[in-house]
Amino acid sequence: MSDVATTRYRLAENTIIAISRLVFLAVFFGIWEYVSQNHIINPIFIGTPSEIVKFLWNGLFVEFTLERDLLWTIVSTFLAFAIGSAAGILTSLVFITWPAVEKFSDPLLSALNALPRIALAPLFLLWFGLGIWSKVALGASLTYFIVLSSAVAGIRGTNSDHLTLARTMGASQRQTFVRITLPNAVPTIFSGLRLGLIYALLGVIAGEIIAAQYGLGQQLSFLAGSFQISGVFAVLAILALLGTSLLWAMNKIESRLLRWQ
Amino acid sequence: MGGVASVGERLAPVVEMHQRPTIEKSSTAVADKVVIQNLDHHFGNGLHAVSDFSLTIEPGEFVSIVGPSGCGKTTVLNLLAGLFPVSSGTISIFGSSPRAGRHDVAYMLARDSLFPWLTAAQNAEFGAEIRRMDRQSRKSRAQRLLEAVGLKGFADSYPKALSHGMRQRVALARTFCLESQLLLMDEPFGALDAQTKLQLEQVLLSLWTDERRTVVFITHDLSEAIALSDRVIVMSARPGRIIDDIRIDLPRPRSISALQKSADYHKLYSLVWTKLEMGLNHE
Repeated sequence: MSDVATTRYRLAENTIIAISRLVFLAVFFGIWEYVSQNHIINPIFIGTPSEIVKFLWNGLFVEFTLERDLLWTIVSTFLAFAIGSAAGILTSLVFITWPAVEKFSDPLLSALNALPRIALAPLFLLWFGLGIWSKVALGASLTYFIVLSSAVAGIRGTNSDHLTLARTMGASQRQTFVRITLPNAVPTIFSGLRLGLIYALLGVIAGEIIAAQYGLGQQLSFLAGSFQISGVFAVLAILALLGTSLLWAMNKIESRLLRWQ
Repeated sequence: MGGVASVGERLAPVVEMHQRPTIEKSSTAVADKVVIQNLDHHFGNGLHAVSDFSLTIEPGEFVSIVGPSGCGKTTVLNLLAGLFPVSSGTISIFGSSPRAGRHDVAYMLARDSLFPWLTAAQNAEFGAEIRRMDRQSRKSRAQRLLEAVGLKGFADSYPKALSHGMRQRVALARTFCLESQLLLMDEPFGALDAQTKLQLEQVLLSLWTDERRTVVFITHDLSEAIALSDRVIVMSARPGRIIDDIRIDLPRPRSISALQKSADYHKLYSLVWTKLEMGLNHE
């Protein structure tokens, strides 16, 4: 009985929260529209909600330009993420297998990691051209270090009891690594991967803003440059949606993979 | 704990190999015994852990080592397990020197150390899998053992869903799933509450009674040591020496809960306690 009551209470609470959110957004956009329409603040700076919707509608369902840019950004992000995280995990395996390599490269990597990576963008443009690969390089260079450090931490963080147990059972090095060290590292690596994905998107967008033929970042830079502020907000909305869905997908995969947690 | 009594029949197929011929009982060879002679151990930092420790354990014997914390009892166990090398003295396990990973020795830790990413059943068969027991027999053995420790119906649960006591039951199943003649147990019930502890002691007794493997059991709980063992070895404070080797002649099979009310048991308890006190005051 009390269970039912709690469930009902929760449901009511959630409904109220959802409704208040909607009300808040409606009021927020209403005021924005009003302020902008009546030139209380110049719409050149803040755009107009109705214009944003119009821009989205046109871009997505009439001219299809936004899909093209979205696709470029998504493809670049995935490439950056895949290359950066694969390289990061591979490097971590090298470090674990040959600790001397880690000792040797540690200060170099730290310096590289401390360098604001966006500063490399001009160089990457020169090396990889205006196309997709300079953005992939930028995104991957961000993802790489995040995944590398989380993978090393995850692999190092093996429970010593587990290792003792493996020794007494007579596990080979390979068995210990595959059956104990690796599964134990998965949660840590995964949080690195999640962050790495977001940073891949960041790197790609930054690269596109600097110089590109296509992509949401390029759109953003073009729209802002030509004072189409409603368009800028429309692209920002798409980016927010893209980031959220990437994280959501990552969480789905994680809870599927780590259902033992 | 209803299922415990009949474990014998269920484990029958694998039991044979652990039963030694009874005719030889009186004149067992070194190849069947665990023999520790003049063991002495210093750690790298100069800590003198164990001093002049000699002990012979007969096949199928349940021996507990008790002593104040830090007395080096776990050191003795770890030396038996081959986790670090014997520096002074000798250890012979069934005729050969200790080595981590030998298949005739199984080790159980104080913490359950279950792998959180494996289910109870997968954890129970883990050691057997590492030791390449064939799939079919390790699966059925793990399943029977999970039933024997009272976890029927929890085979597919992950450790996070199990209580402390249940997790230690799985660890027991994992240890017994290994076909090792010598079981080394380092305070396996040390972290459990009193009630759960008594239950698990009974489970351990039933499992042991079925197969009569040799057990070296480390504990600081005297009542536990007396209730389970054939012999209780009392150690002094560091550097650990043997103060006494007390035979526990309580009849088997034993019921842990009945023992709590037995006069003989309490007599033994006060005897062991007196010895332990001697060790503490010895310093």
